[in-house]
Amino acid sequence: MPERIWRKPLDSEKAKLPKAEIHIIRDQCKGCGYCIQYCPQKVLEESNDINARGVHPPRVVDESKCVLCSFCTSVCPDFAIFVIEKKECKENVKHG
Amino acid sequence: MVEGEKQKLEFSEEVRIGVYVCHCGLNIAGSVNCEEVAKFASTLPHVVLAKDYRYTCSDQGQAMIKSDIKEHKLNRVVVASCSPRLHEPTFRKVCEEAGLNKYLFEMANIREQCSWVHLYDREAATEKAKDLVKMAVAKAALLQPLEEIEVPILRKALVIGGGVAGIQAALDLADTGYEVYLVEREPSIGGMMARIDKTFPTMDCSICILAPKMSDVGHHPNIELLTNSEVIDVKGYIGNFHVKILKKPRYVTKDCSACGECAKVCPVTAPNEFDAGLAIRHAIYTPFAQAVPATYIIDTRLCLNKEGIIVCDKCIRACERQAINFDMTPETVEIDVGTIIVATGADVFDPSTLPNYGYGKYPNVITSLEFERLINAGGPSGGHLIRPSDKQIPKRVAFVQCVGSRSNRNERQYCSNVCCMNTIKDSLLIKEHWPETEIYVFYVDIRAYGKGFEDLYRRAREEGVKFIRGLPAEIIEDKKTRNLWLIGENTLQKELYKINVDMVILSVGLEPRKDSEIIQRLLTISRTQYGFFLEAHPKLRPVDAATGGIFFAGCAEAPKDIKDSVTQASAAAARAGILMAKGKIAVEAITPITFPEKCKACGLCTKVCPYNALTLRKELKRVEVIEAACGGCGTCAAECPFEALTQKHFTDEQILAQIDAVTEHEAHKKIVAFCCNWCAYAGADFAGVSRMQYPPDVRIIRTMCSGRVSPKFIERAFARGAAAVLVAGCHPGDCHYINANYQTQKRVERFWKRMEQLGLNKERLQLLWASAAEGERIASKIREMHEMIRKISLDEIERTKKAFGGG
Repeated sequence: MPERIWRKPLDSEKAKLPKAEIHIIRDQCKGCGYCIQYCPQKVLEESNDINARGVHPPRVVDESKCVLCSFCTSVCPDFAIFVIEKKECKENVKHG
Repeated sequence: MVEGEKQKLEFSEEVRIGVYVCHCGLNIAGSVNCEEVAKFASTLPHVVLAKDYRYTCSDQGQAMIKSDIKEHKLNRVVVASCSPRLHEPTFRKVCEEAGLNKYLFEMANIREQCSWVHLYDREAATEKAKDLVKMAVAKAALLQPLEEIEVPILRKALVIGGGVAGIQAALDLADTGYEVYLVEREPSIGGMMARIDKTFPTMDCSICILAPKMSDVGHHPNIELLTNSEVIDVKGYIGNFHVKILKKPRYVTKDCSACGECAKVCPVTAPNEFDAGLAIRHAIYTPFAQAVPATYIIDTRLCLNKEGIIVCDKCIRACERQAINFDMTPETVEIDVGTIIVATGADVFDPSTLPNYGYGKYPNVITSLEFERLINAGGPSGGHLIRPSDKQIPKRVAFVQCVGSRSNRNERQYCSNVCCMNTIKDSLLIKEHWPETEIYVFYVDIRAYGKGFEDLYRRAREEGVKFIRGLPAEIIEDKKTRNLWLIGENTLQKELYKINVDMVILSVGLEPRKDSEIIQRLLTISRTQYGFFLEAHPKLRPVDAATGGIFFAGCAEAPKDIKDSVTQASAAAARAGILMAKGKIAVEAITPITFPEKCKACGLCTKVCPYNALTLRKELKRVEVIEAACGGCGTCAAECPFEALTQKHFTDEQILAQIDAVTEHEAHKKIVAFCCNWCAYAGADFAGVSRMQYPPDVRIIRTMCSGRVSPKFIERAFARGAAAVLVAGCHPGDCHYINANYQTQKRVERFWKRMEQLGLNKERLQLLWASAAEGERIASKIREMHEMIRKISLDEIERTKKAFGGG
């Protein structure tokens, strides 16, 4: 169906996609960059900070883009990243 | 397969021609002295009998010919009457019934191309009729009995496109008992009709009447449904097509129960194409609830799992039946079928190319297709017509007609057929739900031509829908309210209007599929100037393609509504069924004959053949003809420089004999015209039927295609002193033989160059493209040439004769 699509779908708010909360244990990271490379939504990037192990840990660019696939958790050799579903309340502490 | 020696049957017995000059009541006798023509015919060589008769095509006339064939041992028959396009089959049958091969019959067209176009010049018309009879007799003397070959037809059909037309055609064929492959490139069948809310004029729910049919297709034992698939290659010919289909993976197996648990967990969303982008779908989805097959599909452009890496396994975990399989790969399915039905449908016009209507910029300007999804209970708004800007129900609505139809802008001059009634239906739907809504319809003409259409139109007017003639010149948005101003001229009241509405619906037209060129190329079929597929005859073969074994259904052929699509689909299925029921077909014996001893294996003929029916066998120093694939245009015969190839029933000798007959007397006053059977000759017939008058200088020689006209025919005409030559064929792109008339153009252009080099007036050779409907174009060309040849001196004619080796 090749007609042009340009509008925002009318029911886009109705689609309840889980909101993610990304946790990075900064000092556990050894800077391999797998999570950055394999994230399908390109949510992460290398930060300028230097952690206890002397490497640049990843930083969250746009948490709203995360779809909770948790592939970063799967590929992290150092158990330094995990994602949980954000509860619908206001007092959320941002990590990373 | 064919060898000249075998094909050129010895026909050594004495040639005995019978000539019948028909009065056709007063249709011919009114301006032609038929008795005199018959008397003249009796003096021609080989003619043993010449009669004039009141109605030759009547039962009595036919009986007379039959008894004459037996009594006078006639072995050739010439009837001078109407066009061979009308009664050649009738008289061929008469010959066959009297035991004569049907290819030993020839016709002289003295009605459409003589008496009717020269109504007021009896003397000239009679002289012309004599010439036409002389030409027919000259050709008849050289006719050979021919055998038609029979080609087997596979009893399987392919239907391309699973819209309502494809569905109907597939079901009809499958119910008749044939095996059917239905190929659809979308994940589900249903097409455009599945997206429409209600149908006109009965206001039936569209999907409610379509869904049972879709389900029938899914369950039919004779139908193999291939969705998410595309035809990528077609080889072969009528009765024997070999087709390759690319079946793209769904990544969901048939075990899917369509429970939808996978889509619920899928974290990726995108606009659903089925809902014109007004609703969302997930990467794993089914386009709509009634989809057939019901199996879900994964859109790999959206899915997170790319290049074999399973990043996200939410759907896999959610699927209880374990129907998701990311290891599926594309496969190529190869099938053999006897007939093909093309039901590829149409696209809708993109109104964002018209900046004055603001589509794509103003949120409350929507298309008729978006409207269908909005008003549909299963659509994104649950059947509430809401403005996209604020989701409020509009109180004033305007429809704008002919958006992308009947306009010189965008080169879409045709009427899209469905939009008027669709708008009337839509306006009534609004009135039904929200009776207080003010509705304006801006139109050019309202075309309510079908059964029940006018009643619906009247109902809309009675319900208070305001019809205003004159499309808005511009739509302007009020930035604050997002309301729209329509500015234009009411052409009935001759006054300007400026109307404020909450929402505008652009009634978008239909256009050919953007990629219909692929199907055109794969199936070697033609398209009209606007790009829809061209039927073999607009009146008498409306669902056949010019290429044998291929039929059209639905909007692929021209914009049409559901009823017409279904009608055409059933017709196409019946036409395909006729072929398959017989199981074999006789191919008209107008294929090429080769003379291998003259062949230099240069391969020129194979290059010009539009059907790839000629294969060069360099090692054998000859070409082979696949007679079943041959369309019969004869352009190969015109191309061969060594006379190693000619067309049966239109041989070089036969056509040269016709030219010689024309140019025997007073050639300097005559125009020798070559007209293709399908366009120019039919156009000349149309001129006759319409009684358009033109000067009697012209003598038309019929060939199947203008591509048959060999330069040596033109040469011969000039060498024998003809004043002028006209070559006329179908418009480029409309050729009955795909593209054979491009060869005509090339040859004529080359001949012009040659005439220039010889210092001759190249105006004496004219090339004309005229369709079967353009009688006036042909008549005026002949008038123009008549004026031109009056200025040609005898000296010039003599010079031309010498230049081309004539006496």
